[in-house]
Amino acid sequence: MIRYRTDSAAASSFTRRRWIAGAAAAAIPCGCSRPAGKWSPVTIHRAAAYSEDLYDLMRRLIAEHRLEVRSKRVVLKPNLVEFDQAAVINTNPKLVHAALEAFRAAGAADVRIAEGPGHRRVTLDLAESAGYFSNVARFESLFTDLNLDEITRVRLRSPNSKLDSLFLPNTILGCDLLVSMPKMKTHHWVGATLSMKNLFGLVPGGVYGWPKNVLHWAGIDETIADLHNLFPRAFSIVDGIVGMEGNGPIQGTSRAVGVVVAGADPVAVDATCCRVMGIDPLKIGYLRLSASLNQLTEPMIPQAGETIESVATPFALLPELRNLRLEKAGHRS
Amino acid sequence: MTRSDQLLDLQNPDGGWSYGAGGSWTEPTCYAILALAAAGPAKGEPLRRAAQWLAARQRSDGGWAPRDAIPQSTWVTSLVLLLPRGCISSSAADSAIAWLLAQTGRESGFAQRLRMRLLGVRTDSQQFDGWPWYPDTAAWVAPTALSILALRKTARATDTHVRGRIEQGRRYLLARRCRDGGWNHGSTKALGYDSDSYPETTGVALLALHDSMAPEVAAAELLAGHQLASCKSCEGESWLRLALLARGRRPSGSTAPNHPRTLELAMAMIAETAENGFNVFLERHDTV
Repeated sequence: MIRYRTDSAAASSFTRRRWIAGAAAAAIPCGCSRPAGKWSPVTIHRAAAYSEDLYDLMRRLIAEHRLEVRSKRVVLKPNLVEFDQAAVINTNPKLVHAALEAFRAAGAADVRIAEGPGHRRVTLDLAESAGYFSNVARFESLFTDLNLDEITRVRLRSPNSKLDSLFLPNTILGCDLLVSMPKMKTHHWVGATLSMKNLFGLVPGGVYGWPKNVLHWAGIDETIADLHNLFPRAFSIVDGIVGMEGNGPIQGTSRAVGVVVAGADPVAVDATCCRVMGIDPLKIGYLRLSASLNQLTEPMIPQAGETIESVATPFALLPELRNLRLEKAGHRS
Repeated sequence: MTRSDQLLDLQNPDGGWSYGAGGSWTEPTCYAILALAAAGPAKGEPLRRAAQWLAARQRSDGGWAPRDAIPQSTWVTSLVLLLPRGCISSSAADSAIAWLLAQTGRESGFAQRLRMRLLGVRTDSQQFDGWPWYPDTAAWVAPTALSILALRKTARATDTHVRGRIEQGRRYLLARRCRDGGWNHGSTKALGYDSDSYPETTGVALLALHDSMAPEVAAAELLAGHQLASCKSCEGESWLRLALLARGRRPSGSTAPNHPRTLELAMAMIAETAENGFNVFLERHDTV
């Protein structure tokens, strides 16, 4: 059993629900910088395939991280991007279903799956093509298209970007625990797309369009950090069983890593995933905006399960991104 | 239950439509009106309530917001201009056209092009004025195509300024074709690597260019036929059918909604009406 702090989603969710009821222009506290050495543990578990073993693994994750979800509303946020025959682009539906069942078994009052793809408007068709309908019983009744959900305007306090507010979906603002479930992928603009970048899918296309170009003009790294500040205790479960390397997040190639990485601090989880991928987290812009360089170093992130070294699988990087490569052991950050 | 009845069942008490459940949004309300008005004259009362819902929501700048809570006119203004005569007044249409004409992609503005030139970035594909989803952002394929269709459908299509913007928009679309000849959201390359097209955006862009004799458009028509054969989305299929019909083709089969929500139902109805000879994006309806 790993140690887990209890000041997480339950406390922040009360505030979020109150924001919806209270005012459309509610201000969300950010608080991106935290005292050094205070990250929650990050766990790395081996998972060789999208098999039945994932159901047991998800239950163990909830227990290990001591997630208190009894009578709570949980939203699972996978990464759905593109129609994909090879099942490399999107978070695998078997992993999402295993998480759904595990949170239900842990006593959650409601578990929903929600996503707002950035380029394709036909979300349900995309989900069907990605295998969600065939893997998750009654998927359509469990799913919210975040691009088209009811919305509330949320003010950004001390934003990193040029934005001062964002409309966000009420399904997300009203949940007790947001679970970011990205695919472990390289990203041609920001280096790596993991649990923090996955939150771009919360921003409603119905307001901002497809793509959500306001985020790009306001600064991609900066808006990733801003979204993280709104949901700093989102729980992360990263699908690193088969990731994507090279020209991610859409046109890359599959890279089997065989891991699931999880934790209650998205910054710590993403920094750990970067190291697994052979990417230096200290060179990822949105991580640098969300924590000090010292906080991002490997010794500062408590870790359980497999070691990074034992599962490290350097991802191929585009030539333009090779400066992000993590240096060899002994010189590593 | 007919698709018309299904669509009417989804109408909110305030007269508008949601995307599936919840409050009324401008976009699904516009598509529902287009579909129902094209389907026949028997839907007068629901359409009148829908038109009233829309008319009450025009903003002081002439545009429409996606929904009530959003204090910003956006691309959905183009959809209102596609509606049958009588949905909004002539003066409301005039101010909506003025709003739409004032919108351009941020990337084609002088300041941004100068900045990119100083950075040594080629901007060949960014010299034409398209339309953005949201003001002060870049132009993209779908809002540009819909704006072209909207301006063409208005009575002002012979105005020099309007014609100039339509031509700019058409050039924008031709410059944003993907390597396969179709269109995606509008990003043909990322870091220099080619991107592929999507059925729904290929359909709407081809519809906006349906009368073009350019060889690129003929190639896109061929691609659209191939995409239709393998398309897994009702909305994508509907846009492809509308475009191919506008190009004089008779695509086989028919479109059935996979997930009967407002946009799918409306687009399937609009495509079906086009199969019967009336394309709501190209021809004017009678007054609601």
